[in-house]
Amino acid sequence: MVQSSRQRNLFLAFCLVPTFILFAVFTLYPLFNGLYYSFFKWSGASSLAEFVGFDNYRRLFSDGIIPKTIWHDYFLVITKVIGIMILSTFFAVALTQMKIKEAPFYRIVFFFPNIMSVVVIGILWMFIYNPSLGLVNSGLELIGLESWTRPWLGSEDWALTSLVLPSVWAGIGLFMLMLMGGISNISKSYYEAAEIDGATEWQQFWKVTLPLIWPQIKISILYIIITTLNGSFIIVQVMTKGGPNNSTHVMGSYLYEQAFVKYNFGYGATIGVMILILSLITVLIMQFLMRREKVEY
Amino acid sequence: MNKKFFSRTIVRIPLIIWSLAVLYPIFWMILGAFKSNAEIYANPWGLPDSFSFSNFVNAWSNYNIDSSVFNSFIVTGLGATLTLAMAIPTSYALERMRFRGNRLLFTLYISAMMIPMVLGWIPLFFLLMQLNLLDNIFGLSIVYAVSQLPFSIFVLTSFMATIPKSLEEAAAIDGMSPYGILWKIITPLSTTGIITVTIMNMIQFWNEYFMALIFLQTEGNYTLALAIDYISNETQYTNAWGTLFASLVIAIVPVIVLYAIFQRRIVKGMTEGAIKG
Repeated sequence: MVQSSRQRNLFLAFCLVPTFILFAVFTLYPLFNGLYYSFFKWSGASSLAEFVGFDNYRRLFSDGIIPKTIWHDYFLVITKVIGIMILSTFFAVALTQMKIKEAPFYRIVFFFPNIMSVVVIGILWMFIYNPSLGLVNSGLELIGLESWTRPWLGSEDWALTSLVLPSVWAGIGLFMLMLMGGISNISKSYYEAAEIDGATEWQQFWKVTLPLIWPQIKISILYIIITTLNGSFIIVQVMTKGGPNNSTHVMGSYLYEQAFVKYNFGYGATIGVMILILSLITVLIMQFLMRREKVEY
Repeated sequence: MNKKFFSRTIVRIPLIIWSLAVLYPIFWMILGAFKSNAEIYANPWGLPDSFSFSNFVNAWSNYNIDSSVFNSFIVTGLGATLTLAMAIPTSYALERMRFRGNRLLFTLYISAMMIPMVLGWIPLFFLLMQLNLLDNIFGLSIVYAVSQLPFSIFVLTSFMATIPKSLEEAAAIDGMSPYGILWKIITPLSTTGIITVTIMNMIQFWNEYFMALIFLQTEGNYTLALAIDYISNETQYTNAWGTLFASLVIAIVPVIVLYAIFQRRIVKGMTEGAIKG
């Protein structure tokens, strides 16, 4: 290329610098500043920020709601991973292996909730759970289980569990498609060989399909963990706002309440640091646990 | 053969049940938007007697849905345009040019996809306040655009890697400047990738709720997601379910249209975006 190194550097700067400045100002600076704020007691008026050292962290460890929020987050992570992975693996195998004619229809339908706004999903499910009008309670009455009806989202014992279903409902399609991508890459000859050896369909699933789509399963599980720890508070905020009586508060919704409702910005930032550390540790641990020799036949 | 047919029928049962579980609430939400409140109470899950648009009229004119639809369109359009303006040149430089720190910069952008941004939202709130961009849809557009930057760079770099280098070399020999190459060769050849990224970003911005909740405060500036949330909170007291459903339908129609047109691209964009981990 005929161009002086000065021209080249100018072009490079044109490409990289403006974008990086915006990224630094609106992403990097806030993240590091959040760390910094976590050492201050601060109600928002900039002159009143008071350096308190590790006080916010001490408060974090003595706050009785914090362990609950952590447990709620991991409860959602575990139930979502189990629910989504079982259902989406089943659907992915059914749609790729069973030669079902209307498979494209299911693919399009199952994926659709993935592109709906969490607000729409949350409100829709609030109505489904509505004690007097909702589908769940009227369905239970219809099949004669009236004693099982309850105000799902208003019950301290059931509200958190009730949040799992909408999350699974909204998540299935994406992970089903990721697994289908993995399955369609498996060579047919493995199944033919397995069939000749007399393996049942069930055995073929465990010995051929599952090991060969392990990379996709691993990515899916990690993705569910990351998106849940970093985003579960959105559906909580829409559907229950952390209530009743803190029974559905997750770390993110508690941060929102502390920072933007009660104006404890320093303490809110401390909760943010906790979320950051916990999600990084969880991802590292899961990556370590799920490492497995790549299977090749 | 008979056994195969039998097992296929068994497998269809859960597939059909799940289809109903997905479609029924959505259809019923759309039907609810055309029912009067009395009908919703009398028969929440049935068909409406007659289709009435009064819920839409009410949502549109009495609940600020008109201005929030406008705001959402601005934020979506501006956010998606800004993302492209930032992501295309950077992706090109990261993918095609050798310079010190290239890998590091790429890793920095990509790892930002895994970081929980909640922590950053508190300082961002005060930053926007200082810049006079708080409670401002233009400020929100910038925040949105930067938030989708890592994903966009990720998709665009992998797309640009598939463009043959010989085209750029030939253009450079003909005396075209690097700016010309970027604008007249790389950008047109990346159209497919650009469209995928833009659709994904637009859906993201149209649907986004939490940043809007934090960074917007007055009702006149609400995006659609906030306006709906507001109506939903009101509904607990007013029980105006029909209006709520009408506003949900307004929010979901553009997404349905995009999905109908770009179904394959959206699916591809989302599965690829997830595989980055």
